[in-house]
Amino acid sequence: MRENAEQNQDQELKKSLIDRFKSLSYVWQIIVGTIGVLALIGVVGLLFPASPAGDLARIIFRWSVFTQALRISAPIALAAIGGIFAEKSGVINIGLEGLLIISAFTAVLVTAMIGPAETVAFIPAIWIGFLAGVLAGVILSALFGIVCIEFKADQIIAGLAVWLIALGLAPFASTLYFGGRDTGSLGTTIGNWPIAIMLLSVLAAWVLLNHTTFGSYIRAAGENPKALDTAGVSVSRIRHAGVLLSGFFAGMGGASLSLSIGLFIGTGETMVEGRGFIAIVAYLFGNYNPVGAFGASLLFGGLDAIQIRLQQIGYGIPDTLVQTIPYIVVILVLAFVGRTRIPKAAGKHYETEE
Amino acid sequence: MTPAVHLDGITKRFPGVVANDNVDLRVEEGSVHALLGENGAGKTTLMNVLYGLYQPTEGTVRVNGEPRSFASPSDAIDIGIGMIHQHFMLVDPMTIAENVVLGNEPRKYGGLLIDRERARKEVLELSDKYGFNVDPDARIEEVSVGVQQRVEILKALYRGAEILILDEPTAVLTPQEVEELFEVFDELTSQGKTIIFITHKLGEAMHAADDITILRNGKNVGSLDAKGVTREDLAQRMVGREVLMEPQVTPQEPGEVTLDVSHLHVEDTRGVEAVSDVSFSVRSGEIFGIAGVDGNGQSELVEAITGLTNPTDGDITYRGRQLESMTRRERIDSGIAYVPEDRHERGMVMPFNLVQNGILGSQHTSEFAPSGRINWETAGAHATEIIEEYDVRPPTAEATAESLSGGNQQKFIVGREFDRDPELVVATHPTRGVDIGAMEFIHERIQELRANGKAILLISSKLEEVQGLSDRLAVMHEGEFSGIVDPSSVTEEQIGLLMAGESISGGENAALREEDVA
Repeated sequence: MRENAEQNQDQELKKSLIDRFKSLSYVWQIIVGTIGVLALIGVVGLLFPASPAGDLARIIFRWSVFTQALRISAPIALAAIGGIFAEKSGVINIGLEGLLIISAFTAVLVTAMIGPAETVAFIPAIWIGFLAGVLAGVILSALFGIVCIEFKADQIIAGLAVWLIALGLAPFASTLYFGGRDTGSLGTTIGNWPIAIMLLSVLAAWVLLNHTTFGSYIRAAGENPKALDTAGVSVSRIRHAGVLLSGFFAGMGGASLSLSIGLFIGTGETMVEGRGFIAIVAYLFGNYNPVGAFGASLLFGGLDAIQIRLQQIGYGIPDTLVQTIPYIVVILVLAFVGRTRIPKAAGKHYETEE
Repeated sequence: MTPAVHLDGITKRFPGVVANDNVDLRVEEGSVHALLGENGAGKTTLMNVLYGLYQPTEGTVRVNGEPRSFASPSDAIDIGIGMIHQHFMLVDPMTIAENVVLGNEPRKYGGLLIDRERARKEVLELSDKYGFNVDPDARIEEVSVGVQQRVEILKALYRGAEILILDEPTAVLTPQEVEELFEVFDELTSQGKTIIFITHKLGEAMHAADDITILRNGKNVGSLDAKGVTREDLAQRMVGREVLMEPQVTPQEPGEVTLDVSHLHVEDTRGVEAVSDVSFSVRSGEIFGIAGVDGNGQSELVEAITGLTNPTDGDITYRGRQLESMTRRERIDSGIAYVPEDRHERGMVMPFNLVQNGILGSQHTSEFAPSGRINWETAGAHATEIIEEYDVRPPTAEATAESLSGGNQQKFIVGREFDRDPELVVATHPTRGVDIGAMEFIHERIQELRANGKAILLISSKLEEVQGLSDRLAVMHEGEFSGIVDPSSVTEEQIGLLMAGESISGGENAALREEDVA
């Protein structure tokens, strides 16, 4: 009898915990879930230090792995933030990958042209290169915006075009200037700055999106552009701004990626290697919230960092397998959680009436 | 006294069409003015001229005595004209306060951030001032259509509107919500606002307006004081001839049960139960009507019967056969005709011409494709037949569906479906968007089908239509039948209560329900 009651109580406790977890907002669920998994690994690792869980725990709770995870996630998170602005305004920017490639290459190119050790008006060349990378992203996104918004091209096809253009153009220009698809090392990097840039961008994007009139126009343009139009705000102008911001953030992501190791690799899929597409996954996973997108990017970056370290200590986990995790996650999330709310007017052209 | 709005000789021509022909309109300050007319009479065009969406070809717009010309709606907004469109311009995931201030947000920190607190407060004050009773923090997707409409009115008021134009404001409301809207009108006019509302419903114009202006074919055919006008007078002016006010139903003994629905459960596309335990039957020679505000499960119920969705539980029997095992084509072939509610999505293929659209659903039959290939001559003749019989304009079978006006598309679909020689007709909003003349014709054809012993399931949000035509009338609310009543013995108010989910007392109705079960 008493046992029964205890069991009931136990069950009730379990149930209420699950209920409480379910009542959390989506982003918090991810955060709580992640912390829970980490804690589990930590406890098991402490209890059985010699087991693989012990190895895993030693890797995860090491500061250098954490910063590495942040470094890996920075380009993804920045591109994801860019993607949020474009898609929230109603333009699906599937060309984030291309924006990352073009800005990664331009950043290295401009730095090399100035001379990595030079300064211009007291600004180190590498930062001029960084800005040039951002500018390249903005310019390419501006073209994308014009084609999609003014000429009403299909956004998916135009986005793929952005990717393919960058995929061809960057290695080609690299061959012209550097004599090969890879640029060769600059001999200097921007170190851990991308982490700071990412964290600042997450905060700025969140404020911009949720607490400014501009953010509210972006959201309206992607949900019900007509409502915005009748309120006297130009929908196409807001959408252009959203697309330009996607170029701006993705540009910072691309420049961060190449300048943090000081070279651009143009062979194969280039050094960007699908990060632009993982960024799309990240912001869908994060439900269009910059903080959520950051969390998802950190999750993907973290898995990657753990995988690298596991390789180093002799676990033969294929990296290609780890790289499929983001995509498997997004399919699971979209299929079973289904909490991602896609802006209603995303992908649809808007025409003002007479 | 200077009228608040004085439209003086407004003519608006579009290529090939005169939408407004020398229309005069005077609206007194602080009054409610109804703009009455059939679909396509030019009401909305005239109001779009006043709102600055269109520039008049000829004529002057005077507001408070001063001649004005508006390059765009923002000019009209600037001098205090607000328009509430038929389709709401609201952003669903945003709160009411955010929607109201969209485009005119109060700001703080030197214009950097939105001042949410002030926006909330201002919206709340405005809402209280006119007794709107809205929660500024609720999201649009969480509130009812009636509240959404009040948010639209708030938006206009927030922008300083003195003159409010409402385009068919009651089309989406329950009778109770309509009453509430008219109370809002009173509150607004008592505080000096001027209201113009577009409608094609005589009763509303007479009930809510101080003055009524009737448009027909783009012309003003009379501006009258709402007191002392008769329905007949208004209707005659609207249509230009005598009209049958109510569809007349001749009593008739229904035959065998054609369609039997028992304990049906259907989920909507989001997996939420939209139809909960609905049971009814339709007999041959009977019109079974379903009334209710759109979105209370009627669509899902109809889709389960026509085969566009699968019920989660329950049985549907059609002439003794289990309907669930029948494909969509088998259902059509066995005599189920379907007039869908969304004519663009379900009724026609827009870029196809009427010949092609005329054989949709029977493209495989021996009549149109005797040897497996479509015989376009027969198909053409069939389309022409429908066009002539249902007075579809323009009367060319080669015209694409998208080139037709909504009313004419509707006439063509109704014609196609009724001409299938069906046993069961599922008609959803069969007269939506058509003018009174065509409406009468469609009503007559529905009664003809009934006289010929067909079973008809009629779903409509027009109360007078379902009430006037049906032998029995069910009212649907949140997926359930809140009652099955004898349409001739209930009042519009009682149906309204049922539509809002309340029950009405009365032994007779209970008896009717029992009979239905038996």
